[in-house]
Amino acid sequence: MNLKKYLSLTRAGIIESLQFRIAMLVMFAGNLLYLTVIYFLWRSIYASSGSEVVNGMTFSDTLIYLVLATALFGFMEMYAVWEIGRAIQSGKIVLDLLKPMPYRRYLFWSYSGSFVVNFFTIFLPTFIVVAIVTHGAIHMGVNLLYFVLAVVMAVIINYSIDFIVGTICLYTESIWGINIMKQVIVLLLSGATIPIAFFPEPLKTIVSYLPFQSIYNAPLTLLLDSGQDAVSAIKVLGVQLIWCIVMTVISKLFWKASLRQITVNGG
Amino acid sequence: MASMIEIRNVTKEFKVLNRREGLKGSLKDLFSRDYKTVRAVDNISMSIEPGEIVGYLGPNGAGKSTTIKMMTGVLEPTTGEILVDGNIPYANRTKNAENIGVVFGQRSQLWWALPLIESFRLLKDIYQISDADYDGMLKLYRSLVDIEPLLHKPVRQMSLGQRTLSDILAAFLHDPKIVFLDEPTIGLDVSMKAKIRTLIHALNKEKNTTVILTTHDMGDVDALCRRIVIIDKGKMLYDNDMEHLKGFFGNYRTLKVRAEGDLKAAAEKISAEVPEFPVNADEEWVSILVDESKSGVMDVLGRIQSRFSIKDMQLEEISTEEVIKKIYEEGVS
Repeated sequence: MNLKKYLSLTRAGIIESLQFRIAMLVMFAGNLLYLTVIYFLWRSIYASSGSEVVNGMTFSDTLIYLVLATALFGFMEMYAVWEIGRAIQSGKIVLDLLKPMPYRRYLFWSYSGSFVVNFFTIFLPTFIVVAIVTHGAIHMGVNLLYFVLAVVMAVIINYSIDFIVGTICLYTESIWGINIMKQVIVLLLSGATIPIAFFPEPLKTIVSYLPFQSIYNAPLTLLLDSGQDAVSAIKVLGVQLIWCIVMTVISKLFWKASLRQITVNGG
Repeated sequence: MASMIEIRNVTKEFKVLNRREGLKGSLKDLFSRDYKTVRAVDNISMSIEPGEIVGYLGPNGAGKSTTIKMMTGVLEPTTGEILVDGNIPYANRTKNAENIGVVFGQRSQLWWALPLIESFRLLKDIYQISDADYDGMLKLYRSLVDIEPLLHKPVRQMSLGQRTLSDILAAFLHDPKIVFLDEPTIGLDVSMKAKIRTLIHALNKEKNTTVILTTHDMGDVDALCRRIVIIDKGKMLYDNDMEHLKGFFGNYRTLKVRAEGDLKAAAEKISAEVPEFPVNADEEWVSILVDESKSGVMDVLGRIQSRFSIKDMQLEEISTEEVIKKIYEEGVS
């Protein structure tokens, strides 16, 4: 694998993202608004529960978790489903398929630039602000290393899921509904909108067998749960790694089979 | 010399769902297994040599794009064989992609938000073009067109003409053996068309690139192609030189006359006078497509003149456009 050809796509992605200053501001404002809503929503949830600790999490635990989940979303979400869907509808996919590299890789690396930009403009500032405001609620230690590893794998799992859903667009030729459904499922089951600690027991069990919790819940737990030992952390990472491999393989095979269908039957 | 592209008895069939009409029909369609087979390309064969510019023509829906997609490897033929520079394109699409360049007139492969030079740099890395080759190519481009003002302009701010020009340059950048141009001059003004034709011609000469050109603009064909291939309804109608094409249909010439009064009415009367030839009228002229193997132009003119007073007349050699139109409408017999 010649890395330069991929890093060049990253570079172009960075330049491309930086072109859209207004879009970045709007996204920033939108996130701020969302966080305000979250703050008041959870404050009233805690107020009505009448206790300091709900499901093992204090109000500030919950808030830190959700703020970072939002920041993580801003950085990891790639809208690959849109991209694939639009490319299929407009026929641009033909041009993408004619690049001298596999489409799945081409698309990932085309997006990698916006990862870098969003990491520095969304995630890092939020992280720093949270760390300062909460006076050390985020433990600075080996958990940071776990977190970084977990995020890398989360990105890969998230991309694979997006790619699978995008591939479905080859058959349906519609994007909107599928994308919304995917987003709701992923955000809910991954613990990005509500911490998994709040889920009822049966749902918790189901979720623990699904790949989604590896996307948001795993990295955030590794980052925030100061009470965990190395063994449990490595277990979480191990589960992530398994999902990483499984989802990558599934998305690759599904794409390959679907593409064959398309090349045989026309698109 | 080995052929650059070798197509042998290629057929491509699609399965299409038979759609029914109305709400009820649409609901039924959800569960329908009622497919029909459409044959988009029907048993075509051709072989294209290195350095050729081949005009690939046919009316809309003739199967041109399907053939191109098979040659690029995006589609797999139902039966038959395709070899592009020795590769089977669909089996080896990524490898084949290194050897080809494509321009689809309707859409761009350039990075929309980036200045052209960034797209070029990106393509340089993606196709792993060496520094020397890249510089050489840019130097060649500079000598052919005025690209400086384009290089630093984001693609989204370009006019259609500039964008098409840029797309063509991008397609040739990695010095591919074959470039597929699908309607490259669609929607462009006359001077831009001329510029693009000159560019394609020069790049073909300079790099000995094989060019497959599909177009509906016979100006492109006249300017660029020595050989043309015509298909319709998936079947190959014609594969030969341009010169041969004109002789193929006998000696056709267009006689244009201007008569007194209403041209439409005059055209009808003239048509009655010379029923063996097609007659058309536009705002200025009544044109008669004369087949000189049947009767001479002078004879036709005489017959018309005996009935009408003719104010003015012109004689035109048949244009490529008319020959092609005739083939589309009547086929080769």
